[in-house]
Amino acid sequence: MTEVNQELDARNLNCPLPILRAKKTLNGMESGQVVKIMATDPGSVKDFEAFANQTGNELLESTEVGNEFHFLLKKS
Amino acid sequence: MEFEHYQKIALYGFILAAIFGAIANRTNFCTMGAVSDWVNMGALTRLKVWLLAMGIALIGTQTMHATGTIDVSGSIYLSTNFTWLGYIIGGFLFGIGMTIGSGCGQKTLVRVGGGNLKSLVVLMVMGITAYMTLRGLLALLRLQINDPTALDLSERGLTTQGIPEILSMWTGLSSSMLAIVLTILIGGGSILYALKDAGIRKSFDNMLSGVGIGLLIASSWYVTGVLGYDDFEPVPLEGISFISPVGNTVSYLMTYTGSVINFGIAVVFGMIAGSFLYSILTGTFRFESFNDQSDLVHHLWGGVLMGFGGVMALGCTIGQGVTGMSTLALGSLVAALSIVAGCAFALKMQYYLYDEQGWWHAFKATIGDMMPSRQKSA
Repeated sequence: MTEVNQELDARNLNCPLPILRAKKTLNGMESGQVVKIMATDPGSVKDFEAFANQTGNELLESTEVGNEFHFLLKKS
Repeated sequence: MEFEHYQKIALYGFILAAIFGAIANRTNFCTMGAVSDWVNMGALTRLKVWLLAMGIALIGTQTMHATGTIDVSGSIYLSTNFTWLGYIIGGFLFGIGMTIGSGCGQKTLVRVGGGNLKSLVVLMVMGITAYMTLRGLLALLRLQINDPTALDLSERGLTTQGIPEILSMWTGLSSSMLAIVLTILIGGGSILYALKDAGIRKSFDNMLSGVGIGLLIASSWYVTGVLGYDDFEPVPLEGISFISPVGNTVSYLMTYTGSVINFGIAVVFGMIAGSFLYSILTGTFRFESFNDQSDLVHHLWGGVLMGFGGVMALGCTIGQGVTGMSTLALGSLVAALSIVAGCAFALKMQYYLYDEQGWWHAFKATIGDMMPSRQKSA
């Protein structure tokens, strides 16, 4: 089980707000720390894949839980 | 059933738009997303897809224009009434609207087809506001901005606001030769720039949306310009566009017994239908609605800003950004850049507002980021 250092509730936010908030949250974290993001926007799945690819922060997990999408991002 | 000439053209528009809607739904083609990827993560892939579409539409349209198949100089984009302030203000407001309204006019139609009820509200508000800006109360504001500032290019000896003709006046070179050079430079350059990226070349979806949408836009000129030509009842020359057509669709539905369908209205229905069919066939249709009051308020403002801004700027991300650009109109370039600037501004504001230090703080930080000398990724 990955240790989660911070949680970000991005439920009910529309594109591109989940990404914007994740970026802001990561800015305040240290390298190697993990943030768990909970979102409801279906577009966030592709967005977080692209975000991880582009920024080098590792997407450890991307899962669909009921009507929500959960992501684990590790700060590079 | 025998179709009238104008009905046939509307049907062709519907078919082109249905393909557009299905492609955009599948590939997540989104100009706001493209600007967001660029501003927020420095990722250019989606912007390159958009450039690929624009480049293909430009080359296709200019080839038809140069060979005499169509004459785009009769389109609204190339009017000698150069409403520069309208392009800038309208484009900028449109860019803000599409950011807070979950996507531009094209994306809104695709989302409606996919079951998004928020986008249905945006669509209705956008349509009413667009019509108010065309013919209603807001038209007064539009004229107050445009009338005193518009430049009449015909007084300067020009017959269009095409970039080739303007450059021709300055350089003395032939306008048609400059059109070819610009088509190769801008169109060919955009395509090469996009295709240099393996992320575009090797992705079926990216190629499908870039090439497909570019070809659909060029085809839309062919539909109204060639198939629509008739000695007795020619249809107006137009390409795929979304804001005025959404306004006209609202009016059409309310005055149905006294109205006739046209290309633009059919395009609106086609986009929704194509996206709807695609989402049903792939099992991705899903109802979405507002989460809370602030979500509703954002989307209402998004619709208002896009309806007003889109009419002021004579088009949206597709109408000016791709269709208008394919005519090489100067106003389309100004409007498209203003839309991108408005979108980037709103994205930055959203980012800094999250600090909860108020609007003024967010505004100062946003302006600081957007100044060229201090351009940086926050």
